[in-house]
Amino acid sequence: MLALLLVASPAAAQPAYEHLRLVAPAAPGGGWDQTARAMQQVLQRAGIARTISVENIPGAAGLIGLARFIGAEHGSGDAAMVSGLIMLGAIVTQRSAVTLGDVTPIARLTGEYEVLTVPVSSPFRTLDDFIRAFKARPESISWGGGSAGGSDQILAGLIADRVGVDPRRVNYIAFSGGGESLSAILGGQVSVGINGLAEFAAQIEAGAVRVLGISSAERLPGLDVSTLREQGIDIEFENWRAVVAPPGLTPADRRRLERAIEAMVRSEPWRETLERYRWIDRYLAGAAFARFIETEEARVQDILAKLGTGRTGERTLASAGPYPLIVLGGLVFCAVAVVFRRARRSRTPDRGTRNPGLAPVQRSGWRSVALVAAGAGLDLVLAESAGFVIASAVLFWFVARAFDHRRPVRDALFAVAVSTGAYLLFGRILDLPLPAGVLSGWL
Amino acid sequence: MTEILSALAAGFSGALSLSNLGWAFLGVTLGTAVGVLPGIGPALTVAVLLPVTFSLDPTSAFIMFGGIYYGAMYGGSTTSILLNTPGETGSIATAIDGYMMARQGRGAAALTTAAVGSFVAGTLATMALTFFAPLLASVALRFGPAEYFALMIVAFTTVSALLGQSLVRGLLSLFLGLALGLVGIDPLTGEARFAFGIPQLLDGIDVVILVIGLFAVGETVYQAWQYGREPVEVVRLHDFTGMSREEWKRSWKPWLRGTAIGFPLGVLPCGGTVIPTFLSYMTEKRLSDTPERFGQGAIEGVAGPEAANNAAAAGVLVPLLTLGLPSSATAAIMLAAFQQYGLQPGPLLFSSRPDLVWTLIASLYIGNVMLLVLNLPLAGVWARVMLVPRPLLFGGILVLASLGAYTLNRSMLDLALLYVVGGVGCAMRVYDFPLVPAVLGLVLGPLAEQHFRRAVAISEGDLSVFLTRPISAVLLVAALLVLLGPRVMRRVSVANSNAQSPMPNAQ
Repeated sequence: MLALLLVASPAAAQPAYEHLRLVAPAAPGGGWDQTARAMQQVLQRAGIARTISVENIPGAAGLIGLARFIGAEHGSGDAAMVSGLIMLGAIVTQRSAVTLGDVTPIARLTGEYEVLTVPVSSPFRTLDDFIRAFKARPESISWGGGSAGGSDQILAGLIADRVGVDPRRVNYIAFSGGGESLSAILGGQVSVGINGLAEFAAQIEAGAVRVLGISSAERLPGLDVSTLREQGIDIEFENWRAVVAPPGLTPADRRRLERAIEAMVRSEPWRETLERYRWIDRYLAGAAFARFIETEEARVQDILAKLGTGRTGERTLASAGPYPLIVLGGLVFCAVAVVFRRARRSRTPDRGTRNPGLAPVQRSGWRSVALVAAGAGLDLVLAESAGFVIASAVLFWFVARAFDHRRPVRDALFAVAVSTGAYLLFGRILDLPLPAGVLSGWL
Repeated sequence: MTEILSALAAGFSGALSLSNLGWAFLGVTLGTAVGVLPGIGPALTVAVLLPVTFSLDPTSAFIMFGGIYYGAMYGGSTTSILLNTPGETGSIATAIDGYMMARQGRGAAALTTAAVGSFVAGTLATMALTFFAPLLASVALRFGPAEYFALMIVAFTTVSALLGQSLVRGLLSLFLGLALGLVGIDPLTGEARFAFGIPQLLDGIDVVILVIGLFAVGETVYQAWQYGREPVEVVRLHDFTGMSREEWKRSWKPWLRGTAIGFPLGVLPCGGTVIPTFLSYMTEKRLSDTPERFGQGAIEGVAGPEAANNAAAAGVLVPLLTLGLPSSATAAIMLAAFQQYGLQPGPLLFSSRPDLVWTLIASLYIGNVMLLVLNLPLAGVWARVMLVPRPLLFGGILVLASLGAYTLNRSMLDLALLYVVGGVGCAMRVYDFPLVPAVLGLVLGPLAEQHFRRAVAISEGDLSVFLTRPISAVLLVAALLVLLGPRVMRRVSVANSNAQSPMPNAQ
């Protein structure tokens, strides 16, 4: 450890990275995005990296980002991605082909404890009240929390399991994000809320909600809330977030990133960041972190299996079963109705006046459409191989030809000018990710 | 009341420094510029600009965010009107009549009514935010899953029944959108549906793809097809002078009604500004003496939704500031921005950091004035886009559309989907199906399903919950009236005339 620190400290004078790319596998605004942007700020300010870019790859609770990170960044020494417990949950529920075993674990960074809250008007004064009602009629208690298979639902399942109720009977109501579930709790729409502490801190301080328990091992300083454990439910639980590196890293690259992260978590700006977001420092690196991932994966797998998320086979109205049938049934019904009406109208003589678009089609119209389609097809083929500029210029030229075929040279000039201008404006100045392709050396 | 006014005055004195006005101007300009782009919404803009403001003091940063927020809301209307390319869902309703106006050479008038309407609505809604924020927030909490479901049913029925030439065509389009909305992870169970093992489909089909595809690409293909049939370029008269006296007269009522619809609905987290803009459009069509002009370039159809859009954008700030609830993606980023400065929006924000809150509110007023100053003179300039020769105009639109679709998720699948949807959109135009219900189905369908299932789960499978909760019952009855009302009325009037003719003296 001492040796590490000794090596790490000169790194502060000479940046370890000219440029470091951070991937946040989520849309802007969420926990992973916040973590990535906080890292960006601290690493830059502490002089560990000269410049850092954050790239959001949202989708499927981080699985899209994970898959792309593993595929595109294999062996890259200057890239890292934020990850965490929720990604583990998604890997299990989606039976994902890519897992956290496919990346290089670097370090766990932060943890966020969960709180059980009820509205002030709730009949449940204590955790005991609540658990008694839950045990008596499990389904009558609705638990409002974040997305399905996420940390909130996992904890709900753990609690049920621990008090001797089948986790399958937890009536878990998934909301998208802390905001929505908070409003459901404040409005008394659900019996109990189960959420991250940070999202609820302001409400707790204002006394707008009552906290039944917190999932930390010890009481937190400055927060008068008793833990689940001291109230007889022996659970310690946190929504942890971590940083991982691409697979296939050289040992030198791996050490460099590990040292950079270590220097970051030891820095003063990082401490301030933790305080600001109410995150808890849960730094854990190296082999210990790799082992931690394995045990967490087993725990998540176990509890999600008990919860029965994913395919349940139940066909109640609250389950996913009937809804697609209703929609597809409605679609077929309306389509049949439209066809039926047309068939009936076509037998009456006054047809054609209502639908001017149905006049006999001339061949020249289809020629134009074919030109647009050809442009679109070539754009699809060329966009990633030849790059945005070439593909867009081709697209522009074909579309312009579809409207007027008399001035091909003028159209070509405009095509090149528009696509190059768009690339420079959006790709260079606004820094949007556009494929540069074969012209990457020129633009 | 007086304390609110004095707090607001203090807020203005904080915001009205030269440098802060500069930040407001920068925010409004950036927001408008980026809002013009399809696919790049206000959320991404604020997220990208967040690090830039690290070095600013919180007051200046929030003033800039306020400018970006309103600017982006307004910017979307410009492309809707001129290019039939709504940048986000809130400006779809504007595109219907705004684009028709632009094609008739009245683009400047449409842009002017949008700018003035946004200003009127933004200012009135900011006032409502100033005085009634806590009250409104507590009303919004009464909305649970059952109420949200009922509200969405109202949106579905009004749009399918009143748009397009027949109910069944509207419904077919709606169900198409609902079916597309099924694709992706079911958020209540985490189970993937209709994703066919393609990871990019796990998050569903992005609504921006559908909007740009149906409107921009579909329009291009349709125009190409039309052009091939009638190669004569129609030269139209163009008028860049803005609104006539008659148009002012027709606009002011829709502005006020749009504000009244948009602000309260913006307070509710129900899919952003889609529902308020369409309800405003439908209201104007319903109240009009000449509803047949709607869809053919009625200025009321631009004035109302644009006002509703901006009023709703102000409404979104109510739950954010008073409860710490982000009810849109942009609000979620704003929340992150607050936390960046160690502030936690919530019940205590008004008392713990009044200086900042009131400066933000004051800067919203300032941002509104700036938007008007920036956009009113530009309306005539922008409207000249219609003079660009058609081959170049549509070539440019497609390049812009493909750029927006690709940068959304950096996915080629999105680009391919865009063109497929464009083909479908053209076919729908040719066979006279309304496009809007499909978009509404995709945006609100998954939400409606979730709220329905949440409501049923909370009530332990009891379906009567939708009728025993008063707000939801009233909304469902309203939806039924919209759906059946016109038919019943027609039956009744037919029956009356039948009944009256044999016995004219029955009364």
